[in-house]
Amino acid sequence: MKRIESKINTSSAEFQSNAAHNRKLVEEFREKQRKVRDERPQRDIDRLRSQNKLLVRERLKLLLDPGTPFLEFSSLAANDAYDGEVPGAACVTGIGIVSGREVVINAGDASVKGGAWYPLTVKKTVRALDIAIENRLPVVHLCDSAGGFLPLQADLFADKYMAGRIFRNQCQLSKMGVQQVSVVLGHCTAGGAYVPGLSDYNVIVRGTGAIFLAGPPLVKAATGEDVTVDELGGCDMHTSVSGTADYPAGSEEEAIAIARDIVAQFKRPQKTHIEWQEPEAPFYDPAELYGVIPKDIKQQFDIREVIARLVDGSRFHEYQPNYGKTLICGYAHLWGYKIGILGNNGVLFNDSSLKGAHFIELCNQNRTPILFLQNITGFMVGREYERRGITKDGAKMIMAVSCSEVPKFTVMCNGSFGAGNYGMSGRAFDSRFLFSWPQSQISVMGAEQAANTLADVKIRQLAKSGKKLSQTDIDAIRDPVLGEFKRKQSAYWSTSEIWDDGILDPVDTRNALGIALSAALNTPISDPRYGIFRM
Amino acid sequence: MHHAFKLGDAEHNLELSRSADGYRLHLADRTLPIDLKTGADGRAWLTLDGEHHEVVIATRGDDVFVHFDGEAYQLRYEHPLKRLAAAGLGSAEDRVLAPMPGSIVSVSVKAGDAVTKGQILLVMESMKMETTIAAPRDGVIEAVTYDKGQTFDRDALLLSLVAIEKKK
Amino acid sequence: MSDPRQWPFHTVLVANRGEIAVRVLRTVRKLGLKGAVVYHAADRGTLAVKMADHAIEITGPTPVASYLDGAQIIAAAKSCGAGAIHPGYGFLSENKGFCQAVEAAGIRFIGPTPEQIDLMGDKVRARNYVQKAGFPVAPSAIEDDDPKTFVERSRKVGAPLLIKPSAGGGGKGMRIVRDLSLLEQEIERGRSEGQRYFGDGRLYCERYIENPRHIEVQVLGDGQGSVVHVFERECSVQRRFQKIVEETPSPALDDKKRKEICETAAGIARAIGYRNAGTVEFIFGPSGEFYFLEMNTRLQVEHPVTEEITGIDLVHEQLRVAAGEKLGYGQNDVKSQGHAIEFRIYAEDAARGYTPTTGPVLVLHPPQGDGVRWDSGIVQGGEVTSAFDPMIAKLIIRGTDRKDAIAKADQALRETVLLGCKTNTAFLRRLIHHPAFVAGDVHTGFLDANPQIAAEPDMPAQTLHALLGAAALSTRPMRDVADAVPDMHAAIGSWRN
Repeated sequence: MKRIESKINTSSAEFQSNAAHNRKLVEEFREKQRKVRDERPQRDIDRLRSQNKLLVRERLKLLLDPGTPFLEFSSLAANDAYDGEVPGAACVTGIGIVSGREVVINAGDASVKGGAWYPLTVKKTVRALDIAIENRLPVVHLCDSAGGFLPLQADLFADKYMAGRIFRNQCQLSKMGVQQVSVVLGHCTAGGAYVPGLSDYNVIVRGTGAIFLAGPPLVKAATGEDVTVDELGGCDMHTSVSGTADYPAGSEEEAIAIARDIVAQFKRPQKTHIEWQEPEAPFYDPAELYGVIPKDIKQQFDIREVIARLVDGSRFHEYQPNYGKTLICGYAHLWGYKIGILGNNGVLFNDSSLKGAHFIELCNQNRTPILFLQNITGFMVGREYERRGITKDGAKMIMAVSCSEVPKFTVMCNGSFGAGNYGMSGRAFDSRFLFSWPQSQISVMGAEQAANTLADVKIRQLAKSGKKLSQTDIDAIRDPVLGEFKRKQSAYWSTSEIWDDGILDPVDTRNALGIALSAALNTPISDPRYGIFRM
Repeated sequence: MHHAFKLGDAEHNLELSRSADGYRLHLADRTLPIDLKTGADGRAWLTLDGEHHEVVIATRGDDVFVHFDGEAYQLRYEHPLKRLAAAGLGSAEDRVLAPMPGSIVSVSVKAGDAVTKGQILLVMESMKMETTIAAPRDGVIEAVTYDKGQTFDRDALLLSLVAIEKKK
Repeated sequence: MSDPRQWPFHTVLVANRGEIAVRVLRTVRKLGLKGAVVYHAADRGTLAVKMADHAIEITGPTPVASYLDGAQIIAAAKSCGAGAIHPGYGFLSENKGFCQAVEAAGIRFIGPTPEQIDLMGDKVRARNYVQKAGFPVAPSAIEDDDPKTFVERSRKVGAPLLIKPSAGGGGKGMRIVRDLSLLEQEIERGRSEGQRYFGDGRLYCERYIENPRHIEVQVLGDGQGSVVHVFERECSVQRRFQKIVEETPSPALDDKKRKEICETAAGIARAIGYRNAGTVEFIFGPSGEFYFLEMNTRLQVEHPVTEEITGIDLVHEQLRVAAGEKLGYGQNDVKSQGHAIEFRIYAEDAARGYTPTTGPVLVLHPPQGDGVRWDSGIVQGGEVTSAFDPMIAKLIIRGTDRKDAIAKADQALRETVLLGCKTNTAFLRRLIHHPAFVAGDVHTGFLDANPQIAAEPDMPAQTLHALLGAAALSTRPMRDVADAVPDMHAAIGSWRN
């Protein structure tokens, strides 16, 4: 496996200008994250302090093994929703190391609306538990939630992927033999009561923790019974009378220490064996990614320059180097793990689609996880290409992606437009993890084409009724569409809607993928099997 | 930080983690690279922040004895579950420990007695000197461990107290 | 000197324990004799028991009591055919009754005659005897001698003087009088305190020596007319009235004074026809005056320093004279060279008022090297208990001169590794670095006047970090958690995205 020879001139004006631009984007991203994580109204912090509660980040620090990484999911979830008032969707999820075990953490953030569940809170939680199911990762739930946000109950309660799915997923995990522990640090009311209830183990803090189907006011309204929180669902009642909770704790610190000790009892899974060799840092500095990614999304760049800054020793075995050259395929090692990589170097043609489908089959045949690096404007269109069967060749690639048994990982490096999103394992195609870079964009087509298409439709409708539009009228139709389109194709919109597992600073991609790969190998890889490839 | 060692009267919180080529010692104000290679008979080589030290280490139960730079030290490990459970239920003042080895001269309380802070609980003798042990706080005597004439080592539990409210 | 095989005894039983039992057995074995030892169960597994040809278990209500049970010890000696008993120091070493019982059983007592024990065992009689023989004793007045003239006689003792209750001890009721006009008033106070503490108001008084030194002289007598001194030892560094550092020669003496004090000691021993090794203790004042304090009719804890500078094996000499040999050499044959210092290694916490410590001896690496002697009864795997005196070893350093000995001592104390039970080695190092000690300018109240030496100094941050690191890496619950982290995650470290 030879080293990629970078053709980038890092002292060029273009490189420097790209780097400055992308560093600024990353700074903006970091600032948004900082606000989401650390900026709360003082009264909310005071309220938690007066209840002897720790903030969710403090809890995480106590829970995680020191000196170990935490891969946080969707840190900017719900950031473009609810007028930005529910930072991080009021919960923190991610993969961390607890007592040496890889676990998914699902922690409510009581400093946001008392930890109330918004629709996107539910979506983020369900996604975290899906990750747990797909990768067979034990879960630690840090429960501190006021319950569902009632004004939006219709958007979070009943549908297939709404709140019930949390509990359904918990049951599935349990059925699979994947263990869960809940730490009850606040009230777990109504549905929330099932989170500890459905966990294999749970710990409850005396004084602040409580579990009940209905709190004292509702009980009073329903039956007239007067009862205190402690009597109804407190630590000592549940651990000594009802058996709903397992371990009493005198403080949050103790509760978390007990939870750590519980996780230490979990059997460590036998990892799926894939090719592995001693890890090696990339030869090219990953920080050079800032200068590799062009300022203008329309400007093409060689995806090999990205690969060279992600993989071990910057070494890459390229498959079919002379065929279907708009899709780069090949093998590399990342944090020691052997992976197959598909990266776009332009629009997908017939040959590149066939090459991609073939390479995906190779990876499945030899049990090699696949990394998709998306920078795709779509499959080629036009008479000539339809005659050559671009649709059926694209269908082959989509079939191969969909039916892949090896774990897939997707990074939205730049553009992700049209069916290219699908062919390169977009969100709908069950990549185990999907991350976005700050400047990346996703939409069914480019914003300007879309706006023009919509404007054209309008103009033709009006023309039918005999109206003729001035350029000003056209702009008045086109510009709002363009604005809305641009907003919703940005990575910040995607991540707010949880179409990904979070935005990454490009230099963090290698570690994020390493952690994701390690997690994915908890699940065995089945034999490859596909549907019908249209020949 | 979950873990702690007691060194003398001071409690030091710390964490340990593994790195690519050794370990890291996490303290309140800093993280230091560290490693320990053990040899025969307790001798070991400690690398701390790039400097090498020859040390001798022995352990017994939760006690760790370290000979470092010409002096011997004793550290006592406080398991997080034990330490945090104690913090949740009250203070270390619930347990009256022997300040030195010795024997009991007289005991003036029995289990169930309510005592006030400063009240003399027992008199012990060590090195031909009598020492009176007084109640560290108000409370109720839960148990008295030794009878008159019995001997004990340092840090032996002499008496335990519970809060007055809890007893009621 | 004759062949020990010609001696009237072939087996020597040591009626002691710990380092001194080992010390005596070492010479006994060196001479080709058989060594026996008695031991209490608490001492099973100690070095002395392992070394001895015969080890006989004795019992008692307490471990100490068993070593004080003369009848059992004599029975043990008979059972193993021991022809002599060495009492070591402490326990029965100065017990006239035991000495008599031993000899009545037909066994040699390695020590003085019962009469000599008796004389020197009674402090008042010993003092009177020495005074009458013309040697210096501190001026004093005993109320009981003539209560009516007590005040007048006290005034004659001269200021400063110390008033002590006759029945007392441990410093209680003692009063120092520096101004004789206050004498009567202080006597009244002393009397009422004596009454209060001891129910006995009788007093005596003696000259008070400010900042005295403790200097003692080793003597050897064969009971057949020969007595020599084996030079002095200075034992001024004391805590709780117990010696912790002893050295010879004393830095306080010039050659003239040395000769004077050593010959005084030899004279006292000669006056009583002393047999055995013995020690005459003096109180030594700042202006060079010295007074007889007492005589110990046994081997002293600190005897090794004398051996180190003279090359004389004092235990060998004890055995020889007990076997009936004559000394066979004169004062001019006793020569010394260099400087020796002994450090008593105590299981104690100097910073907590020298309170004794206990614990297992998990690791023991005694110091080694030229001029380094380690006399100890403990072994790795043993246990230091509160059953006995907390002295666990003696470190004896021989140097070309005092400065050399101090430098070697520092190194040896650094190298002394004893883990499991706190000892005073770090304290001893602080002590020998104190300018007053370096200058040899100490007195028996030195440590009380300088409590900072006992206090533990602030720990440098690097030491604290090293200790915490070493401890963390040696503690399973900490190391296991760290080791459980997968390699890649450990390498990535505390990364956040």
